[in-house]
Amino acid sequence: MKLLAAPLASMVAALLLAALPLVTSSNYVIGIGLSALIFTVAAAALNLIYGYTGLLSFAQLGFWGIGGYATALTVVTFGGNFWWGLLWAALVNAVLAIVVGYPTLRTNRHAFVIVTLTFALLVTLIARDWVSLTRGPLGIPNLPAPEAFGHRFAGTAQFYWVAWAFSVAMLGFLYALCSSRIGRTLVAIKQNEPLVRAQGIAPVPYKLAAFAISAAITGAAGGVYCFHLGIIDPLFLDFYYMQTFLIIVIIGGAGSFWGVVVAGVVMSALPELLRFSEDLRMVIYGAILVVAMFVMPSGVAGWLRERQLLRMREHVR
Amino acid sequence: MTVDATYLVQLTLNGIALGLLYALIAVGLSLIFGVMEIINFAHGELLMLGAFAMAFVLPVTGLLYWPALAAAILAIMLVGWAVYEVLLVRLRTDEFERSILITLGLSIILIHLMQYFFTATPRLVDTQYGFNGVEIGSIRITWTRVIGAGAALAAFAGLYLVLRYTQFGRAMRAIAQNREAALMVGIRPRVVARNAVVLAAGLCGLAGAAIAPIQLVTPYMGQFLIFKAFALVIIGGLGNIPGAIAAAIGLGLIESWIGGFFEIAWQEGAVFVIMIVVLFLRPDGLFKKGGMRVG
Repeated sequence: MKLLAAPLASMVAALLLAALPLVTSSNYVIGIGLSALIFTVAAAALNLIYGYTGLLSFAQLGFWGIGGYATALTVVTFGGNFWWGLLWAALVNAVLAIVVGYPTLRTNRHAFVIVTLTFALLVTLIARDWVSLTRGPLGIPNLPAPEAFGHRFAGTAQFYWVAWAFSVAMLGFLYALCSSRIGRTLVAIKQNEPLVRAQGIAPVPYKLAAFAISAAITGAAGGVYCFHLGIIDPLFLDFYYMQTFLIIVIIGGAGSFWGVVVAGVVMSALPELLRFSEDLRMVIYGAILVVAMFVMPSGVAGWLRERQLLRMREHVR
Repeated sequence: MTVDATYLVQLTLNGIALGLLYALIAVGLSLIFGVMEIINFAHGELLMLGAFAMAFVLPVTGLLYWPALAAAILAIMLVGWAVYEVLLVRLRTDEFERSILITLGLSIILIHLMQYFFTATPRLVDTQYGFNGVEIGSIRITWTRVIGAGAALAAFAGLYLVLRYTQFGRAMRAIAQNREAALMVGIRPRVVARNAVVLAAGLCGLAGAAIAPIQLVTPYMGQFLIFKAFALVIIGGLGNIPGAIAAAIGLGLIESWIGGFFEIAWQEGAVFVIMIVVLFLRPDGLFKKGGMRVG
């Protein structure tokens, strides 16, 4: 029974989320729900590379932006449709992740963090300065609504279903991956890499695959999100997005799949409730990050697990 | 394409000045990494605070350059000391990711607090030198740039002497080269780490104060510089101070030359391409991993 509880609860939650546009007609509320879904997917992808594999990647921001631009350019400049755009976004990012990841993962995890950070910055600068492709600071406005089976998903409420289907599919895939043998291998690499090597498993292909999958999913998420906004410009690569993904993963608990998913939904809705000035909100974000790293470095999920272990130990005694 | 010699010399001089500035930041990062094996993400914000300190002190001193510079450096050293005592002291040496996330939080707080109180409007900082400059033939450089470059060189010379000849510096090198042995001979890592952070903050304050009259001062000015400084630390070899300086000046020159002849996108991309190539060829950085050797 307990084994079935989590999948059942998640299915009920997914269906409840799907019903959001039926409950309310407010585009504002639906927009928050949509952001929550997409941010959760991006955070879950970050969780795959940071929480499971133990590699802190700031490149997610770059992948998010490249995904957005790839999707938008496929539709606007190259005359493809939205779905091909998402596919391209995922593909381009996976290839880039391998190109950047291969030389970097041969060194150490310190270099990985810094290289991914610089990569994120580079993408921002290219989005701003490669005007002939990205149209620079002006951006690409008026992204058209996607179509499927002759139906046009115009408007926030309609587009919400697209985002919902995408998020459920991606989270399902990530859950299957994380709870499979591959997921366990990734955790093993994080916890004790020499031991993994001693077991005859080469860690680099696993790390590289985790990085590429994480990049592909983040990119596709960026593609969906920029069509929700209807415009893509260099602000899409604002560090704010990276901070949001990071805070979701850290508060939820790095390495805990459901912790991050719950935190994703809560942390995306929370800033909307706390409507301060933009700057004060960011100050609060920063403070949350610092305090969380000291008080509960393994997030709410980790804190709950520790409590549970403590209680079990007391019980035994 | 014919290349104008004056233009080339001008680009080269600009490149050196830019490189020295990068070096001030990268050396601080290297110093902290060498001693504590952590990365200070908020290092660029220390630079930004240094520039703001310069902007606020200059009107008080009646635009006198040197007292304001000294005050700014002192202020940022105090900030560095506070950051160490409140946040960094709680970190162990193996907590690299945690150090990044904590200092990232600090960086967010500092940027947005400054923006909240002083707005994002860029400030122009005026000094006693104004836009006066020195002219050599047809090349003209403003005094603020010359002094900035000179101060950076003096700082590196000072740092070299401190690290090589004083007990204060030798203890830092000892910790960086062999932690356990340093502990055994009675060096206190906590004190040394604090000294390293304060020293690195001082260098950063100098960089910020020197750049304030040259560039516009905004809360975001530290962010772009810090990314490049990170890349430089990787290119030069983590924790390797001469490596970081060499890489910084090299990058300053390359960026300046590229910027003079190609589109700006190439200039910004150069650092990343160089870093990836270096990692391919020499995973430990261009210069051998140094354990903070100076001689």
